Amino acid sequence: MRKTLDTGNAAITEGAIIAGCKLFAGYPITPATEIAENMSRRLPQIGGYYVQAEDELTALHVCIGGSLGGLKAMTATSGPGFILYADPMGWALGSEIPLVVVNAQRVGPVSGITGAPGQGEFYLSRYPTQGGNYETIVLAPNSVQEAFSTTVEAFYLAERFRMPVIILADQLVTDGWESLSIPETPEEIEAMGLKVIPRRIKEGPEFYPATDEIDIPPVVLGHNTGAACSDWTPTPEGYDTEEVDFQHKHAYRLIYKVRNHKDLITRYESYFVDDNPELVLVAYGSPSRVVISAVKQAREQGLKVGALRLISLWPFPDEIFKVQAKYLSVELNYDGQLVREIQRAVPKGSEVHFFGKCGELPTVAELEELMQALLTGKEIQARNWEWEAW
Amino acid sequence: MDYLATKYLRPRKIPSTACSGCGLGQVHKKVVKAIDELGLEIGDVVWGTGIGCAGRQTFNTWKGDNFAGTHGRVYAITTGLRLALPPDKKIILTVGDGDAFGIGFLHLLNCARRNVDMTVIVCDNLGYQSTGGQYGWTTPRGIHTDSSPYGNYENNWTSEGRDVLNILREAGATFLARHTSLQGQEAVESIKKAILNRGFSLVHMPYPCVTNFADRALGSRKPLVIYKWFEEHTCGLKDKGPDDFAFRTGIYYDASNTRPEFSEYIRNFVAEVQRRYN
Repeated sequence: MRKTLDTGNAAITEGAIIAGCKLFAGYPITPATEIAENMSRRLPQIGGYYVQAEDELTALHVCIGGSLGGLKAMTATSGPGFILYADPMGWALGSEIPLVVVNAQRVGPVSGITGAPGQGEFYLSRYPTQGGNYETIVLAPNSVQEAFSTTVEAFYLAERFRMPVIILADQLVTDGWESLSIPETPEEIEAMGLKVIPRRIKEGPEFYPATDEIDIPPVVLGHNTGAACSDWTPTPEGYDTEEVDFQHKHAYRLIYKVRNHKDLITRYESYFVDDNPELVLVAYGSPSRVVISAVKQAREQGLKVGALRLISLWPFPDEIFKVQAKYLSVELNYDGQLVREIQRAVPKGSEVHFFGKCGELPTVAELEELMQALLTGKEIQARNWEWEAW
Repeated sequence: MDYLATKYLRPRKIPSTACSGCGLGQVHKKVVKAIDELGLEIGDVVWGTGIGCAGRQTFNTWKGDNFAGTHGRVYAITTGLRLALPPDKKIILTVGDGDAFGIGFLHLLNCARRNVDMTVIVCDNLGYQSTGGQYGWTTPRGIHTDSSPYGNYENNWTSEGRDVLNILREAGATFLARHTSLQGQEAVESIKKAILNRGFSLVHMPYPCVTNFADRALGSRKPLVIYKWFEEHTCGLKDKGPDDFAFRTGIYYDASNTRPEFSEYIRNFVAEVQRRYN
């Protein structure tokens, strides 16, 4: 085990290396640039390739090409680059190409503030391309160590589900410095609860089964199996078609291979939710760390509050919202994104509230004031872009 | 084509769904003929296409492995694929003029700069014909199309002293040629040279579109009319051509195997880093 002090960007790099990544294509962008820089240094050392692309469209397409040829591939960007992935992301989802996409969220829209954290791409990570008819897998680390393990897991899920997996981080996670333990042997990897599987190769000409099966090796070109894949709606052989029947089968596969194996994906942490708390705070990424501190402190003061910290964001873990209570979604945006899913998922009779900050974390004191107010029904004075009752 | 078709192509795409009189089949045949004359087997080639007329008609016609990318992106996909595949595997791309010289031009230029080993056959029907006949980046000035109803007023990549092949040469391409689909064995020979070049090769192949281009530009859907127009507007690279518009044909630039190829270079570079630092 190698113990070090480093950033989330370094942790993601090392996680990718451990997971067997052999190709990184990216375009420099704050706050994900260091992932590209680290990859340019680390990949050649282990026989891998770094490609600095002419734009983000190229970056993800190069990754798709590499994965189509059998290499594990990853790219990393921030919001302004993530929107350019809309074009290739459809290709990767539709053709079931395993790869990993990191988005270090910053304040938006557009260029926004380059060095401040945001959480504006929650929905964009669910619908990162046009056309619908698919599910995405999105993971959200909240620490440097978890950025490492999430990256290893993202490669594992990408391979099993044969699809792109998105890591939705934020600037505080990717730029933040924390202690980091990197396993060096297969035993140490296993002891950390991490799994690595090799890049698999499809044998035989069929492109997909019209079922929800997972663990089917993806299409790999160059082995003379007659493999075919494209951006068009495919037949099970991978041929292009205009027949709607095949669209039904393809859509079923892209949606239900994920939904029907949700238990392999869903990850979360819960704090004080077993004794029917009156108020449950919900967050993901870096704000979840303030939320957990605030809830622990409030419990010490006798307030009956709990917290849910989402690690997997999509498919959305509706089933973990079991308690009928007041809910407070704490997010790094002002428009409220996660809150809408919480509102949809909670049991009848629950109330759902939203607290948004952007570019900086909420403070424990702010959250305490909010918890007090929500528990007592007291009206609070707040700037209207930060606080909204739903 | 029958012998070649049986040997190399999937029966499901024969006959093609291209419009009657379309010249794309002539281009397609020349590419397959070049592959055959080089003695390549099905497993030696991965075939890529884009969308539009050229993409749709040539996707998955190849019996071996093949893929199609979204509009203009197939060169970027190929850059990644090139790194993953063994160096002796040929990657041949049949794309359209919009794909190569419009939406995908940035990727194309960067692939030429990197000298990524791929053979790009630009099947050029002088505009966007699969979407109904809009002007493109090789449509001659003044030509009437669905999106230039008063005549095309845009400068394009292949006239008034401009030649898109100049740009690609400056960018670093190592083999460049142009032939119309009406030309014979000389076109096949150029495609063979393009395939044999370990580096970025492009063969620009204008071909007649009877259904849209000929109808709007020449006022006739009789194949003979556009085939004649093609012949009248074809000349050698250095010949004096017609005043208004010319397809300048021949081998434009042959620097085959003189520049390091991208994937070969990066593989050697990585090996050197491993030797020095590990």
